[in-house]
Amino acid sequence: MLLFILLTHLAIGVAILGSGDRLGRRAFAVAALAPALTVGWAITQASGVIGSSSGGSGMSDGVPVSFSWMWVEQLGLQLDLRLDGFGLVMVSLVSGIGLMVCIYAMGYFSYPKPGTARLAGLMTLFAGAMLGVVLSDHLLALFVFWELTSITSYLLIGNDDRNPRARAAALQAILITGAGGLVMLVGLIIIGQSAGTYLISELLLNPPTDGVIAAGVICVLVGAFTKSAQAPFGSWLPGAMVAPTPISAYLHSATMVKAGVYLVARLAPILATTGQWRVLVLSVGAVTMVIGGLRAMRQYDLKLLLAYGTISQLGFLMLMFGTGEYKIAQAAVVLILAHGAFKAALFMVVGIVDHEVGTRDIRELHGFGSSWRPTVVVGILAAASMAGLPPLLGFVGKEKALDTYITYGDFTGSGVVLGVIVVGSMLTFAYSARFVLGLLGHFGVADKPNRSAEAHAPSAMFLGPAAVLTVLTVLLGLAPRLVDPLVAAATTALDPTASPSTVKLWAGFNAALGLSVLVIGVGLLLVWKRAPVARLQRRFSDAISWIPSAERGFLVALRSVTDGSKRLTAVVQSGSLPIYLLIIISVVAIAPLIPALSAWSDLPPLVDVPLHVPLAALVIAASLGASIVKRRISAALMLGAVGYAMAGFFIVQGAPDLALTQLVIETLATVLFVLVLRFLPTRWADRSPAVARPIRLTVSVAAAVSVFVLALVAAGSRDSVSEANISVEMIARSAPEAKGNNIVNVILVDFRGLDTLGEITVLVVSGVGAVALARAGRRRLMLGSDAADEVADYEWSEHEPVPSAAPVAGEMDQ
Amino acid sequence: MTALIPLPIAIPLLAAAISVIVGRSRQAQRVIGLVALASTTAISIALLIGADRDGILVAQSGGWPAPIGISLVVDRLSGIMLVTSALMLLAVLIFAIGQGGVERQHVAFHPMYLVLASGVAASLTTGDLFNLFVAFEMMLAASYVLITMGGRADQVRSGMTYVVISLVASTFFIVVLALVYTATGTVNFADLAGRIPQLPQGTQVMFAVALLVVFGIKAGLFPLFFWLPDSYPTAPGPVTAIFAGLLTKVGVYAIIRTQTLLFPAEAQLGTLLLVVASLTMAVGVFGAIAQDDMKRILSFHIVSQIGYMIFALGLFTVAGLAAAVFYTFNNIILKTSLLLVTGLVERRGGSSRLSEVGGLVRGAPLLGLMFALPALSLAGLPPFGGFVAKFAVFDAGVQSSEWVVVGVAAFVSLLTLYSMTKIWAGAFWGDPDDRPRQRPDTSDTLGGPALMMASTAAVVVIGVAVMIFARPLYSLSERAAEDLLEPIRYVSAVMGGRP
Repeated sequence: MLLFILLTHLAIGVAILGSGDRLGRRAFAVAALAPALTVGWAITQASGVIGSSSGGSGMSDGVPVSFSWMWVEQLGLQLDLRLDGFGLVMVSLVSGIGLMVCIYAMGYFSYPKPGTARLAGLMTLFAGAMLGVVLSDHLLALFVFWELTSITSYLLIGNDDRNPRARAAALQAILITGAGGLVMLVGLIIIGQSAGTYLISELLLNPPTDGVIAAGVICVLVGAFTKSAQAPFGSWLPGAMVAPTPISAYLHSATMVKAGVYLVARLAPILATTGQWRVLVLSVGAVTMVIGGLRAMRQYDLKLLLAYGTISQLGFLMLMFGTGEYKIAQAAVVLILAHGAFKAALFMVVGIVDHEVGTRDIRELHGFGSSWRPTVVVGILAAASMAGLPPLLGFVGKEKALDTYITYGDFTGSGVVLGVIVVGSMLTFAYSARFVLGLLGHFGVADKPNRSAEAHAPSAMFLGPAAVLTVLTVLLGLAPRLVDPLVAAATTALDPTASPSTVKLWAGFNAALGLSVLVIGVGLLLVWKRAPVARLQRRFSDAISWIPSAERGFLVALRSVTDGSKRLTAVVQSGSLPIYLLIIISVVAIAPLIPALSAWSDLPPLVDVPLHVPLAALVIAASLGASIVKRRISAALMLGAVGYAMAGFFIVQGAPDLALTQLVIETLATVLFVLVLRFLPTRWADRSPAVARPIRLTVSVAAAVSVFVLALVAAGSRDSVSEANISVEMIARSAPEAKGNNIVNVILVDFRGLDTLGEITVLVVSGVGAVALARAGRRRLMLGSDAADEVADYEWSEHEPVPSAAPVAGEMDQ
Repeated sequence: MTALIPLPIAIPLLAAAISVIVGRSRQAQRVIGLVALASTTAISIALLIGADRDGILVAQSGGWPAPIGISLVVDRLSGIMLVTSALMLLAVLIFAIGQGGVERQHVAFHPMYLVLASGVAASLTTGDLFNLFVAFEMMLAASYVLITMGGRADQVRSGMTYVVISLVASTFFIVVLALVYTATGTVNFADLAGRIPQLPQGTQVMFAVALLVVFGIKAGLFPLFFWLPDSYPTAPGPVTAIFAGLLTKVGVYAIIRTQTLLFPAEAQLGTLLLVVASLTMAVGVFGAIAQDDMKRILSFHIVSQIGYMIFALGLFTVAGLAAAVFYTFNNIILKTSLLLVTGLVERRGGSSRLSEVGGLVRGAPLLGLMFALPALSLAGLPPFGGFVAKFAVFDAGVQSSEWVVVGVAAFVSLLTLYSMTKIWAGAFWGDPDDRPRQRPDTSDTLGGPALMMASTAAVVVIGVAVMIFARPLYSLSERAAEDLLEPIRYVSAVMGGRP
């Protein structure tokens, strides 16, 4: 059934994509089937998974649902799905909010454009991938789904593909999360290999302690930070807001960005005390929470305000889940539920405003008419939950977070982190208030157009999903008992040793309540004095503007990679054949020589017969001559001389038949050369720079010397091989078995007949090629092109890189 | 079963000869080509199954026992490569027929293509160093003709680069051959495997390096690859696809074969291979990022991904070699499909330059899908075959604690993703209306002519099948890797009772 749920998402998503634009906004109705089914299924599983423990006292006796399928088990790649308590929390977020978003999207896309249905299809695929992330018990399977969410997110952000900003934002998102994913993959492999298992449930029982695991921990955390937009990898999230609001509400606040938090939550009980885990998670989370909050306070675009608020809240969740203390994690579970509900609702409200008013800029909002009252109330309640005001679920979560941190935060630096949480919560209060004031029109600037006053109020279906989520926020805030069993089961799922406490709205007068009062008090102060605060912030941000922002950092990194690539490629990829040859021949000359020199023993006898000396001299002189002379014909004759000298060697070695063959071939080749050279200029046009000549000469001579040394080493090593040359046996078998007295002939046509067949083929093919080229050349000449001359001049001249975009289409049209 | 071994070489060669004879009728040439390559594919599959079930298959040409004659050997690695290359050759031939172009205009296309097929099969099955040279020559000679067949000035010019560099490589190959024969007195692989370990260690390493350089030019290793991205993209469309998909990987095959079979552990070039691999991966992908033309981007990626294969090989572990094998055949499929899609993009958008096409996903969503699947796979994104391949490489690297190279590979993988998104955003997204100079052909509702679309789709589907059947395919790669690390199996299969 677990697999069936995922496959259903795949099938529905593909079906919607396959239908093109035919469905229009009804595509979201189809898409809603998948989360509706999942929610229904999750409800049927809930009692079993949560178990019978009531009221959150004592261990939960829930039984997880699991499924396993081997993919490439030799590599440890397998699909292990598991629905436990925490999985249930995540599924309810992914599919519950998914369902709401689908309904909401029907209102949002009331005038569907081409490509709208594609959003629904991709969103369904995304939802399936996201469910995969939270249901995978296997780290690698989790990674697979993790990357699938990145791909679908890329396609969703860039769906409005004519908009360059959308394309850029999509690219930034996939590059940052992709980079994190790769680092994480390496980290997961390290963890998996040193622990001997990739199963989270098994890792929980036997936490790895290997030394390299510290490196794995860092790698995995980098992945989690990029996905959850933690500092300094958060720059992609505000950019992703270019996507339509339902997508932002779903992917970039409620679900995908929680994947990093989710992974940290899962691994913290296993790895929190390993390596630099706590230092990293807590410092990154703290910085993110504060910076996100500060940035949110400065936004005029309501959606961006929420985006930075999301970053801040994700930092908060990191601070809680990252501790690995189940008591704190329990508070985080409440908070993750609360955040999902209020943030999705807030995004939906922003989407409604954007849709009906045509702007999200709070300077252009001047308050709404009375028909908007329900929308405004929903917005205010959700924002209040975000600010942590009682009696809402946000308050319950934050209160428990403070309480558990005070009571159980007994690790190094917990006091500082608590301070950060308090400060971050004050900022959260401040930007929540900014959201509400903006919605009410307090930031409206007189000279900006007043668009909101007579805006058409949203339909019931459009507002409905946000209202439902807000009602849940209020209801669960008033009666947290309702979620208590779920939270308890989630906590024990994260840490089997946990004994979760009860979640309460009113926990009595304690230190946490005091801090809450402090948060609200300072928050109110920040709101009241918002003008001086804004000035202070501006001055502060001007003062630190020399610190490169993450956004700038990304752009600089991207630009330096592309520019560096261009420069590097311009150097190595010169497009010049002589340079390529120079490099290749240098490698040929140097690379094998280095080991050869270590094998160098002593000079073997170089001269057998005195006649060798003049012959060798002739070969050397003629080859040098061939490369020095400027007339083509002389060079051809010099090459002929080399060939004749070789024939001389054959004679001296007692192979007159070979010598004869060599002489014939050499003569023929020289004659052909002479015939062809008639058509070419008599001299080489050497247009290369003067420095090139000595370099070429050096490399050529080096290659020759190198081959000479290699030959000496090879010949010198012959004695160490005990077996005889195969020629010995060939000679022995030639006459009796192959019935041939000429051993050369027998080798050519019998022993190694296959080689001969191949070489004949090569000969024929070369002939065909030559004819084809000649014909093509003639065609061009007839067309009056000078391409043939170009080819003739080509040989040793430097030339520009080959133009890469020749009009090939012409050829295809025919 | 052993009787089948010469057929992947013989059938295309014979078909090439017949194809020349019936040159007047393109229709007859097509039938011959298709029949020949289809039967080669079937035989290759049979050979792979045979080699996997019964162990290494050996045929001695002319009935002469090794090392007198030439041994033809199909082990699991050869079998895998044979099947992959036969499938690709067949698909690309269908694509070429669908496209028309050079296939229709040139009487020699079919014969040359079939000689190429024969040469590839010979390179993959031969058990003899000299015969490998001949096989390479067959393959190269045919490729020289194919790359210049369009006859355009730029094709001739870049064909020139290709021909000259290949000739230099061949010259050096023959020199190395002579040296090897001088030192050992044999050229049969199995025989060499017995004799090379007797040489002084320096000489062994010398040969290992020399052979690496020879095949490295063909495979496109750093710093020997510069010719590749300059020459491949200008060839006629289907020719580029088969060159890019297949030919460099034949070089990789030769590197894997010679480095594992001929040299004992103490002469293996582990560290050198890892360094070369890192540089190849990185310089290749940087090159890709600097390009604007799809064909050139993909050509640079060929180089970059060769680096992954060499990295995996350089580990000299079962995990590493299994990864190398898996990565290689998967990459052949991906590269072929991507370049076929590029051919379709070029036809539909009028160009393969990203600055000149755009918005294709709207008019031709199927084309977008056929690009996206192999592109995501090439970038190593799960759950595609390329992910399994990349994961296997990473996994093997981590096992051997080669942190630096794993790091380079991860970084390169990110840049690969970047460059795939660049193609996607450039060719499939965006507004075609604001792009200059294009002659789009949007007449086909599918995205291209049916035959071209079908053959491309077939290759894409094969790529997806790698994902679905990753487990048996990886097991097969693992068995192939075990064979490679136990050269004695190969030697005893070829040499029989002889020492």
